[in-house]
Amino acid sequence: MGAVLIEEGVIKSVGKSINIPANAKIIEADSMYIYAGFIDGLSHIGLPKPKEKAIDRSQIKDPANPPNDLSGIQPERLASAMLGPKDKSVSDMRKIGFTTAQAVPHGLMLPGQGTLILLSGETPDQMVYRKETSMYAQLEGAPRRLYPNTVIGVMAKYRELYRQAVQSKDYLKKYNANPAGMVRPEQNFIEEAFYPVIEKKTPVTFRAESVLDIQRALTLKSDLGFDLMLGEVKQGWDVIDKIKASNAKVFLSLDLPEIKEEKQDSEKDEVSASKTESDLEKERLEKRKKEIIDLHYQQASTFKDKGLKFGFSTLEVKPKDIKKNLSKLLEYGMTESDLIAALTTHPAELLGLSTVMGTIDPGKMANLVVTDKPYFDEKSNIRYVIVDGNVQSYEVKKPKKKGTGKDAMPKGKWSYSADTPNGTVTGEIIITGEPDDYSGTISNSQTGQTTDLTEVSVGGGSLSLSFPFDIGGNNIQIQITAEIDGNTFEGNMSVGQLGSFEVEGQSELKK
Amino acid sequence: MKKNILSALLLLISVGLQAQEKGTLLIRNGTVLTITNGIKENSDVLIKDGKIQKIGTGLKAPSGADVIDAKGMYVMPGIIDAHSHIALSAINEATSPVTAEVSTGDAVNPLDIAIYRALAGGVTLSHAMHGSANAIGGQCETIKHRYGTVDPEELKMKGAPRTIKFALGENPTRVHGSGNGILPRTRMGVEEVFRNSFSEANEYMAGWNEYNAKKNQKGFKGVAPKYDLRLETLADILKGNIIIHCHSYRADEIYMLMQVCKDYGIKRLVFQHVNEGFKVAPELAEFGAMASVFSDWWAYKFEVYYSTAYNATILTENNVVTSINSDSRELIRHLYHEAAKTQKYGSLPNDKALSLITINPAKQLGIDDRVGSLEEGKEGDVAIFKNHPLSIYAVPMYTIVDGIVEFDRENDPADMRIYPNPEEQIDVTIAVSDSEYDRCMQDTEFLFNH
Repeated sequence: MGAVLIEEGVIKSVGKSINIPANAKIIEADSMYIYAGFIDGLSHIGLPKPKEKAIDRSQIKDPANPPNDLSGIQPERLASAMLGPKDKSVSDMRKIGFTTAQAVPHGLMLPGQGTLILLSGETPDQMVYRKETSMYAQLEGAPRRLYPNTVIGVMAKYRELYRQAVQSKDYLKKYNANPAGMVRPEQNFIEEAFYPVIEKKTPVTFRAESVLDIQRALTLKSDLGFDLMLGEVKQGWDVIDKIKASNAKVFLSLDLPEIKEEKQDSEKDEVSASKTESDLEKERLEKRKKEIIDLHYQQASTFKDKGLKFGFSTLEVKPKDIKKNLSKLLEYGMTESDLIAALTTHPAELLGLSTVMGTIDPGKMANLVVTDKPYFDEKSNIRYVIVDGNVQSYEVKKPKKKGTGKDAMPKGKWSYSADTPNGTVTGEIIITGEPDDYSGTISNSQTGQTTDLTEVSVGGGSLSLSFPFDIGGNNIQIQITAEIDGNTFEGNMSVGQLGSFEVEGQSELKK
Repeated sequence: MKKNILSALLLLISVGLQAQEKGTLLIRNGTVLTITNGIKENSDVLIKDGKIQKIGTGLKAPSGADVIDAKGMYVMPGIIDAHSHIALSAINEATSPVTAEVSTGDAVNPLDIAIYRALAGGVTLSHAMHGSANAIGGQCETIKHRYGTVDPEELKMKGAPRTIKFALGENPTRVHGSGNGILPRTRMGVEEVFRNSFSEANEYMAGWNEYNAKKNQKGFKGVAPKYDLRLETLADILKGNIIIHCHSYRADEIYMLMQVCKDYGIKRLVFQHVNEGFKVAPELAEFGAMASVFSDWWAYKFEVYYSTAYNATILTENNVVTSINSDSRELIRHLYHEAAKTQKYGSLPNDKALSLITINPAKQLGIDDRVGSLEEGKEGDVAIFKNHPLSIYAVPMYTIVDGIVEFDRENDPADMRIYPNPEEQIDVTIAVSDSEYDRCMQDTEFLFNH
């Protein structure tokens, strides 16, 4: 029980007997819980994903040396200059408790410099807390037929760029000391972007999900000597000592693999005594799959047990899954205080923010999260998120009752996007007709074709569509099932044997 | 005895980073095919801390050492594949006719199940090569099949000479000439790419030599040549620090590359595939170039029609150091059988046939002082067969790397994957075979759609 007094965005005092100024605005938090605002170690918050453009290959003279925006060599770009304060990701992440984040641009091998943002503000200037935090890097090659396309090309290119930057930096130093008689150094924004890294003023943040990518980033670090932060780590449990030895800082991914509960065929259970060899084989494979999924869930606690401090990153996880996934980590060895530390004090320390963020102490920034029950309680709701002293309040949503709702009205024009192995497919879905007799069309940005829907049905809030699709001469039936929530829908697109992909859409009706 | 994957992983978790594992092991009463020193019946091979300490009879196992009873079995050096693409996440950086700067060492994937399958064919070591899309491809990595680790560095054979992939003929001309409309469009163009590249590297070296000579002079104001990783690598070839392994089929081109190498003073040269090697065998021997061939695989494209299963024998009889390779995740599992084909086609004696998959590929990789035969002091890489390895009834029983049993036919679990895919669909009915095609051209398939 106590009070927190905030003045001008700074925590003035914390405790039971605080003198509250007469002009203070008071938030009653009786029986509520107050946490320090959460810090996201690596994210794309505030940086919408740019639309994929078709490449005009006729404009590329030399595929071995494509323009930098195609090769993905753009370390001179600044995330701070690309921020969209109104981007949905800002409000989505704030409403689950995040108040601060390192935001990095989308891109390929060197997308640009990351920035540290506060999750509030009307303008990019108001959002930015620290303009440049790290040089963001990925082991992501250029599109096919353009150099560097594969991981071996990307790694070689990193080494060359880094060493060229070291070389030009040395020359520039000599030139600045005494330029008379020396050839003027050419301006090179790419090499200059490496200078703070070479001086160890900023680290390189590598997106390193797999156990192999983690070690590849460590290899580059040991070859070149930069300070390293590993982000979006998903498979680090076997290489913790190697990471420790490198002094790299770590942000673990909050994106977790899902265990899909198999629907048990009741008839099969009855004859379980006579399982066939293929049933047993399937069971063995399922068991090994569960084991590896468990290792993913245990990753955070394994790092904790090894004494390696880490924060979390959210490049891939959907905001709506974050609380669910944190609860998963609680089941697998993390305690509530471990999780709070990984969301507050540890990332503050890793990002050099401990003097201003991470705890609720006088002198720190007023970044707070207020909940009606303990945060990890299943029924808890966030009531207030305070960023830099600015208060956002949230009403408790009444739980929707299932099955009693009216059928959604899908009629009209929707834009959709689906993440497929061939990249993001976008297009429009147009639904016409009346309930029980809907029809419509769907367009596809990759094929440029529009196809008639063969089935449109609505039950409660869920929408189901299917349509034929031609893959290399084979006609495959594609099915979309999605939940409509007001002007948006989210769901899955299943493509025959190829699997199921996430799809989301937005109503294009005039608002 | 068998190094269990799970316990190995647990060990990694508990002990963490450790030096590459070395084992102590006694193999008892086998028929020992040493390759370089004849056959020793009813003999023992003692491996201590990863190295062959003694070959003899009545050897005692050091306390705590594992023992394999090889009575009635054949004990031979671990098989070596001089041309493979297993354990790699990327093979072709097919975006430039010259990519000397890239290295498959950056793409080593210790999780690849193909490593275990190769072990199940007695193969302890492979040359993880760049593909053949580029005239001058990437550097390659010589790897030991230490399966069970997640650390790519542990697979690398430390101290093995650097190697690089070159390619002649249809692949580079198709990818770059037909694909992108640039040099090389023809076989002449491929030669031009080599000569241009080496000349550029010579200029680059000269530039650095000049800079280094002057940079400490008082008042020096000059600029160093711009660091270029590609030219650095090409310069290392010219300095003799990297062995060229060149994808080749036609005799005229094979002869051409020898001429180019002579002009630039390059001596370390191994030809891969070399289907028309039999036409220029004396010339290869005279140059000192070596040849790594298929036993009987050809006619998969126009330039590979003029071929013969006698190729390995003809090359061997002409004193060309010859090996038989797989270039395939499937063939690598029965290289002993591929070697045996030279007895049907060419009647090679046992020792020469087995040399094709042991000491000869070791020579081609510059590691014959360490592996490729059973000799005291060499590394403890061993394959143990039921029935003679050149027999059609040969069955690999144990495969040992550095004294560690990496494959044990009787005792290994069925599922040897290290990290199964957490998102795999287990009841998939349509499986895409990954073993049947030539990975040499991986990532370039899109070029053949028109």
